[in-house]
Amino acid sequence: MSGFAAVLRKDLRLELRSGESTLALLALSMLVLVVLVFALDAARVRSLDAAAGALWVAMVFAGMLGANRALLAERDNSAIRGLLLSPLDPATLFAAKLAAALIFMAVAEVGAVILMVLFFNLDFDASLARLAPILALGAIGFSALATLLSAITGRTRGGDMLLPILAVPIFVPALIAGVKASAAALAGAPLASMGDWLKIMIAFDVLFVTAGYLLFEHVVGEDG
Amino acid sequence: MNNSAIRNWLGFSTLALMLAALFMVFDYVPPEAEQGIAQLIFYFHVPLAWVAFASFGLVAIAGIFYLWLGDRLWDDLGYAAAETGMVFCTLVIVTGSIWAKPIWGTWWTWDSRLTTTFILWLMYGGYLMLRASADDTPQTARFAAVLGVVAALDVPIVIASVRLWRTIHPAVLVTKQGGHGLEDPRMVATLLVSLAAFTALWAWLLWLRFKQLRTRSRMRALAVRIAFASAAASDGR
Repeated sequence: MSGFAAVLRKDLRLELRSGESTLALLALSMLVLVVLVFALDAARVRSLDAAAGALWVAMVFAGMLGANRALLAERDNSAIRGLLLSPLDPATLFAAKLAAALIFMAVAEVGAVILMVLFFNLDFDASLARLAPILALGAIGFSALATLLSAITGRTRGGDMLLPILAVPIFVPALIAGVKASAAALAGAPLASMGDWLKIMIAFDVLFVTAGYLLFEHVVGEDG
Repeated sequence: MNNSAIRNWLGFSTLALMLAALFMVFDYVPPEAEQGIAQLIFYFHVPLAWVAFASFGLVAIAGIFYLWLGDRLWDDLGYAAAETGMVFCTLVIVTGSIWAKPIWGTWWTWDSRLTTTFILWLMYGGYLMLRASADDTPQTARFAAVLGVVAALDVPIVIASVRLWRTIHPAVLVTKQGGHGLEDPRMVATLLVSLAAFTALWAWLLWLRFKQLRTRSRMRALAVRIAFASAAASDGR
């Protein structure tokens, strides 16, 4: 079994037995959506823009929590040291951590989309299928960024607070593109009509998956 | 040239250029016809923006060299550049707001360049917060270098996305049918002198902060050596 599969399987098993991350992600997504329903008073008017925006706010906050959780598990008992001592190169470790974060985010997003449809009086129709690739692109970019940055913030004072401060400004381009594309998709526009936004998200994903893959060794290693 | 010679040279050229720039802005250059006196802040705003963006570029370059070579010198340079860049970036936003109030009728608007600058400001604010919330170790230096590189990589995508989002910022001034807005040759001259003055000011501040951080790094290294030496001496006894 490859190192990638071993680490991913470990993280998934840990999650299946405790359910900690996905439950927390789902709960937080729901709370963010509830807060925004009241804040925007969106329950009375059928507002696609507000629904798309709320979905992405939920995704960013839930994603941040998930990234913090994933690293917390490794930090307890210095479990990360064990991973670093194993003959596993940091880039593979990054890929496995990214895959795990992505799976947790995907589960939370499915939940968030269902809640969004219910809370914002939308319909379960074909527009949700068009939403899927947009959310997937956003989740890949965000997971890559958060996995890289949480390795940094996890080892500073007040790290849990620092992660959003570092991650959100960097995530802005994908956020703008994601919200715009999602609103268009909910309004029934075909994917082809939002090519520019999708290109920005793809560029963001390629950049941060590559950057994380190459730079992870510099942030995860111990001091020599 | 030794350190104090460079420092003095940079300081005095900053002083001379800054006095020249002030004279040109307030006494020599004609204000733009439509905007009147408010337009004069342009001669501060544009040079400030240039040095702010140059500093952030330098943070990324220093980060790459630090990750590549591992020399503390690059970390100190990146830190100094981030701090000076943050000061100038704040001033860019402040001078822009002061100009925008009479001309656009609002302190702030979510135009593409304003938004990009603000996001840059947030990113480097995060960079400085990271440095403030971690001890000064090689690990922190690596973290900062990675963040500096990642933030710089993000900038082109930020620009592309925000431009697609919206834009109303004037290209130089209000562009009138192809002209670049600086009709009078005195305007070009003033802008160039002002650019030189702010570049000198930037280089001077950067140099001072960089040398200060270098000294701090060297003192830390010395303290470690003294600790080792005294430990070895007490072992020998």
